[in-house]
Amino acid sequence: MTEVQSERAYLKQSHIGTAQLKGIFKKRTPGKDGYRYYKNVGLGFKTPREAIEGTYIDKKCPFTGDVSIRGRILQGVVKSTKMNRTIIIRRDYLHFIKKYQRYEKRHKNIAVHLSPAFRCKEGDTVIVGQCRPLSKTVRFNVLKVIPAGSKAVKGFSSY
Amino acid sequence: MGIGRDSLHKRRATGGRQKKWRKKRKHEMGRIPAGTKISSNVCVRRVRVRGGNYKFRALRLDSGNWSWPSEAVARKTRVLDVTYNASNNELVRTQTLVKSAIVQIDATPFRHWYESHYGVKIGVKKVKGQKQEEVVDDTKRSKHLTRKLAARQADRKLDPLLDEQFVTGRLYACISSRPGQCGRCDGYILEGKELEFYMKKMQKKKSK
Repeated sequence: MTEVQSERAYLKQSHIGTAQLKGIFKKRTPGKDGYRYYKNVGLGFKTPREAIEGTYIDKKCPFTGDVSIRGRILQGVVKSTKMNRTIIIRRDYLHFIKKYQRYEKRHKNIAVHLSPAFRCKEGDTVIVGQCRPLSKTVRFNVLKVIPAGSKAVKGFSSY
Repeated sequence: MGIGRDSLHKRRATGGRQKKWRKKRKHEMGRIPAGTKISSNVCVRRVRVRGGNYKFRALRLDSGNWSWPSEAVARKTRVLDVTYNASNNELVRTQTLVKSAIVQIDATPFRHWYESHYGVKIGVKKVKGQKQEEVVDDTKRSKHLTRKLAARQADRKLDPLLDEQFVTGRLYACISSRPGQCGRCDGYILEGKELEFYMKKMQKKKSK
């Protein structure tokens, strides 16, 4: 895997001190002598094992970083994973035209932050939660990845 | 106001340009960066900001409150020089104090504290064959104090990298306050993995 300290500044979790602070309780990583901060994001989402045991530093990760999940929880299909630690998901929906009493297909693309705890490909379904603005367009964070093909796949998934 | 923090000059997420449809607003204003330098001629200006609050723009500073994390002590010390900046080498050349710059600070207050807390001298120049740390003369101490110091020896550990720095009298520290916002240059002494990381970076630069 890529090296943890890949930037010019020292990457660390802000909640953990690098030195041994006496008498302060911290979550201990199993089998390692460092400490790792991780949290439960709530709303019934399970913290992935990779977040607890991994060594990556990501301040925008919902489990090991400084973001809280609040507001909306949405679902979408992964459209592109070319960006660094962020993906584009596509949300399809039907819009009702009152005059003709019919529906039309519409879609919206959302930029979503993807924590290194997850691995996802194009076509996977992903559940995302709203958080504070992380960049110009990113306001959501991936909470769960449902790999493609694990359920009966419909041609057009509306939500 | 020349510097603005609006987003109207930026392109949309789709890539399209936005037409300017209003003038710059006061609540979008930005100000000239402080560019705090090291100087004994301390200069901190007070700036009135939005809401009637004040920011303290440090233009020249010479000392700050530095903490030693593993010993949980903080002392006011002089800043001696800026040695590394992850964002911009220019800021090192011009010796500008900014948050998360690596600086060298004067080690004497910490050395004094260590000697009075543990009763052991640190940072003594190593002579061949002589022990590195010497116990401070304790003939004038009360029995209670001697017992207290002996009890503290159990927990005492001094990182060899830190010991070397005490010899030169300069410790590497990282600034964790924002001098241009609060007018202070405070931070923490580098230790452990972080210290090794930055020492490697500084050596790489020197060898270039």
